[in-house]
Amino acid sequence: MPIKIFAPKPPRPLHRPSSHHDTSSSDSGSDSESDAGGGAHLDADGDIPMTSQRRVRLDLATTTSDAGIVTPGELITSDPQWMRGHGTYVPASTTSIVSSVAGTVTRTNKLLSVRPLRARYTPEVGDLVVGRIVEVQAKRWRVDVGSTQLAALPLSAINLPGGILRKRTETDELQIRTFFAEGDLLVAEVQQLFADGGAVLHTRSLKYGKLRNGVFVAVSGMGGGGGVVRSRRQVWTMDGAHGAGPIDVVLGVNGYVWISRHVDAPEPDKAAGLHNMEESVSATVYSSQNDRIDVATMREIARLRGVVTALVENGLRVDEDMVVRGYQEAVEQALLAEEGIEDVYLGGDKGRRLAAALTGAA
Amino acid sequence: MASTQHHPSHVLLSPAELAYLHDSLLLVPPIRPDGRGPNDFRPLVAETGILPGANGSARICFADGTEAIAGVKAEVERTARRAGDDTVFLEEGGGEAGDEREEDGEDGEAGPGALGEASGRKGERKGEAAWVELTVEIPGVRDDDSGTVFVAAMLSEALLADGELVRRLWINRRFHWKLYIDIILISPPLSYPLPLLSLTTHLALLATRLPRLKSEGDEDPFFDDDWAAAPYLFPRSPSRGRPAARPPITLLVMAVGNNILFDPSKEELAVADVALAVSVTSGASQAGPGGNAADASGPSQRSLRLLSIRTIDPPSRLTPPGVANAANAAYGAANLNNLGSSAQQQKAAEARTAETEAVEGVWRAPRGGASRAVLAALVGKVLEKGGVVDEVLDALEAVDLG
Amino acid sequence: MTDRRRINGPPGETIPPFFDDADRAPETAKGRFRPSNAIRKMFLKTGVTPSASGSAYLEISTSAKPGASGLKLSCSVHGPRSLPRSAPFSPHLVLTTHVKYAPFATRQRRGYLRDSSERDLSVHLETALRGAIIADRWPKSGVDIIVSILEGDQERETSRSQGDEVWEMMNALSGCITVAAAALADAGIDCVDTVAGGVAALVQDTDGDESQPSIVLDPVPSEHAKILAACCVAYLPTRDEVTNLWFRGDVPASDMELYNSLVEKGIQASRNANRVLVGCLTESVGEGDTS
Repeated sequence: MPIKIFAPKPPRPLHRPSSHHDTSSSDSGSDSESDAGGGAHLDADGDIPMTSQRRVRLDLATTTSDAGIVTPGELITSDPQWMRGHGTYVPASTTSIVSSVAGTVTRTNKLLSVRPLRARYTPEVGDLVVGRIVEVQAKRWRVDVGSTQLAALPLSAINLPGGILRKRTETDELQIRTFFAEGDLLVAEVQQLFADGGAVLHTRSLKYGKLRNGVFVAVSGMGGGGGVVRSRRQVWTMDGAHGAGPIDVVLGVNGYVWISRHVDAPEPDKAAGLHNMEESVSATVYSSQNDRIDVATMREIARLRGVVTALVENGLRVDEDMVVRGYQEAVEQALLAEEGIEDVYLGGDKGRRLAAALTGAA
Repeated sequence: MASTQHHPSHVLLSPAELAYLHDSLLLVPPIRPDGRGPNDFRPLVAETGILPGANGSARICFADGTEAIAGVKAEVERTARRAGDDTVFLEEGGGEAGDEREEDGEDGEAGPGALGEASGRKGERKGEAAWVELTVEIPGVRDDDSGTVFVAAMLSEALLADGELVRRLWINRRFHWKLYIDIILISPPLSYPLPLLSLTTHLALLATRLPRLKSEGDEDPFFDDDWAAAPYLFPRSPSRGRPAARPPITLLVMAVGNNILFDPSKEELAVADVALAVSVTSGASQAGPGGNAADASGPSQRSLRLLSIRTIDPPSRLTPPGVANAANAAYGAANLNNLGSSAQQQKAAEARTAETEAVEGVWRAPRGGASRAVLAALVGKVLEKGGVVDEVLDALEAVDLG
Repeated sequence: MTDRRRINGPPGETIPPFFDDADRAPETAKGRFRPSNAIRKMFLKTGVTPSASGSAYLEISTSAKPGASGLKLSCSVHGPRSLPRSAPFSPHLVLTTHVKYAPFATRQRRGYLRDSSERDLSVHLETALRGAIIADRWPKSGVDIIVSILEGDQERETSRSQGDEVWEMMNALSGCITVAAAALADAGIDCVDTVAGGVAALVQDTDGDESQPSIVLDPVPSEHAKILAACCVAYLPTRDEVTNLWFRGDVPASDMELYNSLVEKGIQASRNANRVLVGCLTESVGEGDTS
């Protein structure tokens, strides 16, 4: 069947009565009016009660799933012992902390911050990101990392070919496009941050550099609670099923994902005139020529891409554990499917089945 | 995807990605990035009748969040008289035919059967292209952007090509319905929006109902207030053993090598050798060349008709080329530094001469056009009997018109 | 989108004067006076606009009536020139095409602003040319191709030309492709081949349903009772490739033969136009050598 047309899903009920009661019971009890249903109710004189209806959340330790959710303008605490973090503000001449975004309250020691439910990527120093060059300037590149600002990659922050310690020259500036040109994908690390939220990247490690031999998929901005989360390992190599070779997965913290054939570091003695491993690797760092990739590997790369997309479409987090488990599940499902192992499609119901198997909800 | 795109049809991909995509689509069978089969469409969510203020409406969305809404509004308009316009005014017996149409309308079957039988007289029920006005709104793009105009022209071309739609808008010799079809994309498109817009328009037209005509002949038209009695512009049930006429659909097909892919995504289009938009309709047709009555081999078989073909300029021609390792100044520069700069210059010179040589794994934007054989294969694949078009029409027909 | 700066014609529909020519019955203009596989006579000249990098002029006469309205196109090419500083980097030549009917070119007066049919033609032309030029030879540069349609090849009598505009657009497009290819060659922009446009149509000559439809090259709508389908092809003869294909009509999908032969005839028309194009280019290059 080449086309599948579904009817729209019935809308979810906006207020789940049970959770509402949970919320009000987990409140500190300072405000009894919050029990009066979801809507704004009128006072006797017709005024809409403003601050009195706002729930005050002090009991931050008992964070149930709903309890930590605040909306802009909502009072988080009026206790002066807390410090204001991201996503909050302090109204003039008060000591109370009020939320400025809709999201969940998080507490780090004495710092209160609100993490928005859905937002663009905010870079942090040390993040591993996948980015795409969108502009080449005289001494630096501008890189799209899915953030509010384009990140900058200075020419001084890349490994120049011919050894790590080589000095940057004018020739390098003139042929800046031979390293990275518009459209090129790269994996890099956030080195420092500007005040405006812009990031400065570097690729001064053999782990980083131009990406090739694979496919790109952006999972940020899709909503539904899914997406890449910061975790222990953002880059790993896994074995492909059905005779495919090893596959590299790079989960950029910014939600850009790269899945490619694993490339072994070349033998040091293979290339003549190269003194050590590092130099031989740096030789291929700026290549835009793909290696020969066999069909089985291409198929498993497509399957992995399908797993990542299915995870995001079904609102699940994307990290090493989920991707590896999802891939194993997809391989098992493909073995049982009538279409056979060659069918790597994981959209629509297949993706939903996969997500259901992963979350244990059958 | 990339947030800083200057034009929605322009897609920024690295040469390595393009080379990988192209290689995987060249395989037999091709491996598409999302794992679909070559004939498979992306799954859709569709509903009709979402706008109570319109005569017909539909909404379609993709899993990636791309969403289109089409609304059809009809207004009664006086038919302009033209000097020497003999088709409308000088023919005898026009009123009689008009009555017959009205009777059919009451049955809700003012459709192909009636028209087919009245083929001798159907000339006077000729519509005009100006009776249908179609607009397309794509956010993030100017209204008079060439790409938008091209898409709108393609959609209205398909609607007008066989004169079937405008013929249905005929009320009497003095009045006609003017149909306004407005299509809106809710967010900037993540792929070439043509198939989405076309399928939405198709569903909206299928759901379109016009008030039932109560007046007779050429008097000022007078309509039934009862919306429930309003017949569909395209009647649902097949009449007199022939399949019911359907609005046209426009499909996007592309070729990479000898592989033909339906409903290509933006990335796939970026490596296309050639892309075509093909408009097809089914059912009621004029007695045209080839004798369509003989086409239908079975009663349930649709008689597909080709309405329009347009070449879509594939964005592949605008993609950045890759650099082969042999010609890459930044590749293996450790060697070159030892040998001195003269060798480097020589390498650069070689790179220029080697411009046209294809290197495996290195992306090159395609040059020239498409071979005749590939074009014919693309069109043949679309028009295949019992092929993709039939399945798409079946799926669209199964959508509940609410 | 009304143009307020200029005095435009009346906004509503008007009926142009109809001159009842006593010695010429309306029927005389009907019918085709050349074989079905021949295109109309064509005049092509390059280098007509000295200020442009390249230019060409194309005239196609309507053979039936000497002196009657034909197709007159003028094309100028500006560039390749460097892109403005604000433009993003492009590894290729950035092609911009403009097709504009002169206000007096058609029966219905055209405004000064480009309408949707002109924009549509521009996109078709761009597709046809982009396949022909070698764009990676000119990184970071742009070229503008401007085609003015001075005379739009339309019948004067409104009575029988209802709905012919579409077919006339196809004829105009094929002329635009040929004249733009000549101007591109005149500007010295690298092309893989000379591209030329050709139109073929499936026509019915008499009003009766009995007559078998036939395929003709370079159709003039007024010469035929009815055009059932037509296609415009932009074709590269030495590479045997098609850069743009525009088909419109109503033919049964089961009859691939019919469709294929229509495209085939369109290619034949394009080949004919290409001979004129190549002849014109050799002539102008030869002139340049002697002077």
